[in-house]
Amino acid sequence: MIATMLTIMIVLLILGFPMMIPMIAASIVVVLFFMPNVDPMFLVQQMMEGISSYVLLAVPLFIFAADIMSTGKTSKRLLDFVGAFVGHLRGGYAITTAAACTLFGSISGSTQATVVAIGTPMRKRLLSVGYKDSSAIALIINASDIALLIPPSIGMIIYALAAPRVSVGDLFIAGIGPGLLIFGMFAIYSYIHAKIYNIPRAKKYSWKERWNVTVKALFPLGFPAIIVGGIYFGIFSPTEAAGISVLYALILELLIFRTIKIPDVPRIALSTGLVTSAVFILVAAGQAFSWLISYARIPQMLTETVLGSDPTALQVLLIVAIFFFIGCMFVDPIVVILILTPIFYPAAMAAGVDPIHLGIVIVFQAALGSATPPFGVDIFTASAVFNKSYLDVIKGTPPYIVMLLIASVLIILFEEISLFLL
Amino acid sequence: ACGSEDAGTDGGTVDEGAGDDGAAAETYNWQFVTEEVQGQVQYEYAAEFAELINEKSDGQINIDVFEFGQLGSEVDQVEQLQNGIVEFAIVSPGFTGGMVAEGQVFALQFLFPDDQEVTQEILNTSEALNTHLAGMYEAHNIKPLAFFTEGAMQWTGSSQLRTPADFENFKMRTQESPLIMESYRAYGADPSPLSWSELYTSLDRGVVDGQENPIFFIEDASFHEVQDHMTISNHNNYVAMTTVNPDFYNGLPEDIRALIDETVEEMQPRVFEMQAEMNEALLESIENDTANPTEVYELTEEEREAFRELALPVRDFFRDEVVGDEGREMLELLEEEIAAQQ
Amino acid sequence: MKALRTLDRWIVKLEEHILSYSIILIAIMVVGNVISRAVVGSSWAFHQEVSRFAVTVATFMGISYAARKGRHISMSAFYDLAPYPIRKALAIFIPALTAVVLFTLSVFAYGYFMSLVESGRVTTAMQVPVYLFAMFIPVGLVLGGIQFLRNMWVNIKEKEVYLAQEKKDYS
Ligand code: NA
Ligand code: NA
Repeated sequence: MIATMLTIMIVLLILGFPMMIPMIAASIVVVLFFMPNVDPMFLVQQMMEGISSYVLLAVPLFIFAADIMSTGKTSKRLLDFVGAFVGHLRGGYAITTAAACTLFGSISGSTQATVVAIGTPMRKRLLSVGYKDSSAIALIINASDIALLIPPSIGMIIYALAAPRVSVGDLFIAGIGPGLLIFGMFAIYSYIHAKIYNIPRAKKYSWKERWNVTVKALFPLGFPAIIVGGIYFGIFSPTEAAGISVLYALILELLIFRTIKIPDVPRIALSTGLVTSAVFILVAAGQAFSWLISYARIPQMLTETVLGSDPTALQVLLIVAIFFFIGCMFVDPIVVILILTPIFYPAAMAAGVDPIHLGIVIVFQAALGSATPPFGVDIFTASAVFNKSYLDVIKGTPPYIVMLLIASVLIILFEEISLFLL
Repeated sequence: ACGSEDAGTDGGTVDEGAGDDGAAAETYNWQFVTEEVQGQVQYEYAAEFAELINEKSDGQINIDVFEFGQLGSEVDQVEQLQNGIVEFAIVSPGFTGGMVAEGQVFALQFLFPDDQEVTQEILNTSEALNTHLAGMYEAHNIKPLAFFTEGAMQWTGSSQLRTPADFENFKMRTQESPLIMESYRAYGADPSPLSWSELYTSLDRGVVDGQENPIFFIEDASFHEVQDHMTISNHNNYVAMTTVNPDFYNGLPEDIRALIDETVEEMQPRVFEMQAEMNEALLESIENDTANPTEVYELTEEEREAFRELALPVRDFFRDEVVGDEGREMLELLEEEIAAQQ
Repeated sequence: MKALRTLDRWIVKLEEHILSYSIILIAIMVVGNVISRAVVGSSWAFHQEVSRFAVTVATFMGISYAARKGRHISMSAFYDLAPYPIRKALAIFIPALTAVVLFTLSVFAYGYFMSLVESGRVTTAMQVPVYLFAMFIPVGLVLGGIQFLRNMWVNIKEKEVYLAQEKKDYS
């Protein structure tokens, strides 16, 4: 059964089928031919379930806000502001992108939302200063990974639920070290990359020019201020912040800059809807697929085989890393964390792994898996939002994959990276 | 290593046994789905239930227990039970309120007695529940075998919750259910439905001021870390039902059915003990968490009375807005049964 | 033929409206709830359900629109490198099989829809029948299947390779 499923998926995938088809077709074949007592309507039930998570709403809302802002003036003025301060530095824009993804990710807690909200404006600017599109996109989807590691991280909240007696607060603190480690690696890489490819530096702005740009960006700067402030002061939740950003973008572009008119709004929303559908149909298909393998208890079977008896702490962590990495290539990280954590948790505790350390490894691998080929929700999101082919999106990722693999080895080997702040 | 033979494809069916003594060697593979994860009441119940059945049947019956999250949402799981692709499920009536509205009776506050043991006794013996309510579920292809409490519900808040006045302008996170929202409006609170996954952060930042859950769940989700106060309010109970697909159950040989019934009965005192131990231990752990101090306060009988008074009219809301004649009769009988126990 | 073309234009318009207003609806629900809670102190109990409805509608009704515009995500490495005859064959085979899969799934979706009709289950907050939420799924899948059949047809009819009915492959 597993062999049939994998064969169908791989063949259809390589032939270039729309990515929902390999998952759906494999699931249908398995249900019809291997599970006579299972009504295939449950695949549809699960597709519906996959997209009904409230937190996922942040994705279309941030896409909508980004679409409005890039149609009007907000996006450009924000970027001019950033450029005035970092444009003359080597790799300045790239480092700013990484920093913006880290900060934004820490607020939204969603890697996909980060790809959309930061990626959309920053990609344009990176291209305009001479970055190749593949490098720009690779930077964006990988820097967005950090979102799962910096509080308030949804991934950690879900892990804490699935793992008995783990404190969410401790996990939040433990994510900071690994988050900074990865940000540091990306920043250094961006600097070296800019030097090697000789990315031209913009002229240095005088303080007077900077002042002018800042004044122009005053309203747009209200955007991050309102989002951060609103969440910090408890006016709205992170998902609701996505809605507020739509509202703020509309106020700016409709009323203040007057760059768009009311009839333009449905047109912009249509493009948002198109992208949302293309991404969410994959989230839906992934859920159906994951339901099927859970129902068949395939993860349990595989882990029993792989873990054997009495694994060491290091063995458990390595296997955890591999399983989560692979799982998150196919399915939304939140779902994977919920399904796989209980399977590994007892073995990890028996082997003496610190539960917080385990959580960080799991969340980190989940983030990593969603940004690495072949499957990865962040790749899908980038492909849909930037309207680039799948291949164009993954072309630039190898250097990041190498860095993230190094980071993941470090995080597994040295629990202090996660635990030193506790 | 394809595993198609034991990969859940044969749920509820009978395999040919390897032995040669005919019917006695038949083996069964069943699925049991829960709404909770390891270390929480429902999952531990199901795991112990599976073990007991396996022992009693000399390994003839094997039950796979599913944690929450593996087969979709709570409602998805119920639909899978109704369809028979899982045989057993623990179902909380709260999640099936859209189908069996009468199950929302457990959301009524200050209906059951404060004493947990008395409450469990009522759950075990009540005709209103075990006959009337169970019948309504059976009409939807869900057969409840037992009702049990996972512990009393408690309030946590950013400020102290002792009197109805403390609920004035208090943003209470609730489920989306109109009945639950009405219950908190009755105290003067602003009920705010909020996705569970955003609750921790929202409590931390003050998007909402408080929430309700049994102690074991509060501790597990770490809500006490972001709340300064917890009130032992015992305002109602987190009740769950052990359920089975009726077609599957009725199709079983009589001895197997008897085995299930017997095990369900044995589990009743066990699960009561389990939840009591778990809730006690975790209450202690909340009280001892000095890094995140939480002031725990237990309502006095007078304070409970003040809330009970405000909660009484909500029963009219239940009677008039939530259920029909059948439900009204059920509530009346249940109220009598509760009064008889006190 | 002319009637069909008019019908097609109507369907596109309908799809466009459904997609865009679903997104607008989500925004109104989320923003409205925040404002109502912060200003008036009362939440919109229905905001999560309406949003969930809009997301479901947008996702499934968008299948066909995304197919028309060639916006479904696929891994096209092999396809891009293949010589013309193979690429042409794939351009016919892929949408054909995709349509078959979507039609099959739409049958299951109809089954799920009917099971919800029979169960009579209503939603928690708004107390409306749950089948309303699932209604658009079989419809969206069938429309999607039809669109992929048209993507196949344009590749049979024309000499060039089309990634979608409205998107030529320029490589
Ligand atoms: Na926990
Ligand atoms: Na506390």
